Amino acid sequence: MSLAVELGQSLFYVLVFPGFAFLFGYALVAEYADRKLYARLQNRVGPPAVQPFADFLKLLSKESIVPEDAEGTIFEAAPIVALAGVLTPILYVPIWSVEAVFAFQGDLIVVLFLLTIPSFALIFGGWHSRNAFGQVGTVRTLTQLFGYEIPFFLACLAPAVAAGTWSVSGIASFVGTRPLYIPVFAIGFAVALLSLQAKLERIPFDVPEAETELVTGPLVEYSGRKLALFRLTKDVELVVGAALLSALFLGGPYPAGAIADVGSTAGAVIGFGVFLVKTLAIVFVLTVLRAVLARLRIEQLVSVFYLWLVPLALIQLAVVGVVGTTEVIP
Amino acid sequence: MGKLLEWARSASPWILHLNCGSCNGCDIETLDSLMPRYDLERFGVLKKDTPRHADVLVCTGPVTRQMEPRLERIYEQMPEPKLVVAAGSCAASGGVFQDCYSCHDGVDEVIPVDMYVPGCPISPEALIDGLVRLLEESGEGGKASRLRERSEGIFEDSDAPAGVIDDEHVADT
Repeated sequence: MSLAVELGQSLFYVLVFPGFAFLFGYALVAEYADRKLYARLQNRVGPPAVQPFADFLKLLSKESIVPEDAEGTIFEAAPIVALAGVLTPILYVPIWSVEAVFAFQGDLIVVLFLLTIPSFALIFGGWHSRNAFGQVGTVRTLTQLFGYEIPFFLACLAPAVAAGTWSVSGIASFVGTRPLYIPVFAIGFAVALLSLQAKLERIPFDVPEAETELVTGPLVEYSGRKLALFRLTKDVELVVGAALLSALFLGGPYPAGAIADVGSTAGAVIGFGVFLVKTLAIVFVLTVLRAVLARLRIEQLVSVFYLWLVPLALIQLAVVGVVGTTEVIP
Repeated sequence: MGKLLEWARSASPWILHLNCGSCNGCDIETLDSLMPRYDLERFGVLKKDTPRHADVLVCTGPVTRQMEPRLERIYEQMPEPKLVVAAGSCAASGGVFQDCYSCHDGVDEVIPVDMYVPGCPISPEALIDGLVRLLEESGEGGKASRLRERSEGIFEDSDAPAGVIDDEHVADT
């Protein structure tokens, strides 16, 4: 393959599929599914299908204010950094085939690192908006960050230990070819789901936003296109988080390989369909959690994560160790 | 492109609800319109908590002297383009508080208003009707008087007839 073709293909991966354009569209679809299901669970009609796109477009066209007291550069850079941080990891998560487009050994660590960037961007942006509500919300985001990151990392460690690889693609093909491992990861999957919910700052873990006490937390001074980028960041993070969990715990594009040859076009189409089904299922679970639970207080949140989810994640690691050494699953 | 943006604006009005000295009747009805029975989210309406996120300011009450600077400040904090709805008789004209020593006679004595929703208290249907008509008119070639003034030079061919917004406000500003 010549250099030009390879460069063009890489650019296509980054900008069109599965990169920016695809993620943008799929994130808006996921937001619609989330809001519609949320509305239906509350016995409402809910927004029309184009609603997330209309919101995004409207925010882009609005005035984008930078408060007088804010640190302009950091305040303006935060949403862009956050969006870049969540758009990149999809290149290391398998979507239509066993192998992610830019897979390499150790990409799990890169993905987990990149997924922490939006939280930090939110912290910097919210703090430097110099708004009292924004700063209190920022402190809560930080406190919450210490709560959910440890169980999330530990839970994602379990499939990596079982598969003996740090590559998301490797883990996906390991779990996908041994479906009996999926119930073994049940505890870790539950921990990862709850941690992802907290990462996304959704109910019941929306303490930083807490609209009744903190207005909207770190986002309070954001308006116009900067707010649009932050909202898009949350949607993309939801999709990428769901894709990561489906690859780690549910075997990614499998069982597509069993139906058609993975390398072929039919295999790619089926694999992509399986990807959509699995990620949307995870989004639905997160939405139901959002609809049926009430917000925790900040100290309750930290104790839930440290007293319950961290030990559970450690138990999951022990279970994986026992299963691995006894070789009950071939 | 202009048409697309106008569609997006009219399809996604986020409201900020502000009590400017209302008796709480209109506030209950405003919130009621967001509840499952009426569900304003069908039209893309979300209730926002900070003026920075909002497009439409829904004011209730006659505006007490105490509330006046706060109302002005919150109005100024909203990003352009912004619309104001005076919800209820008090917000429109002072209602039962007319000529009261501690109150203004309606929201339009403090900030410009784009739509008056009558009622004491307003019914959710009236508020929904007001919002929908306001948004219909805020589009390209729109009739909302204040928007037309502001967008002069952008939509010069706007020759639409006057709508439900009273034209006396155009004379004021």
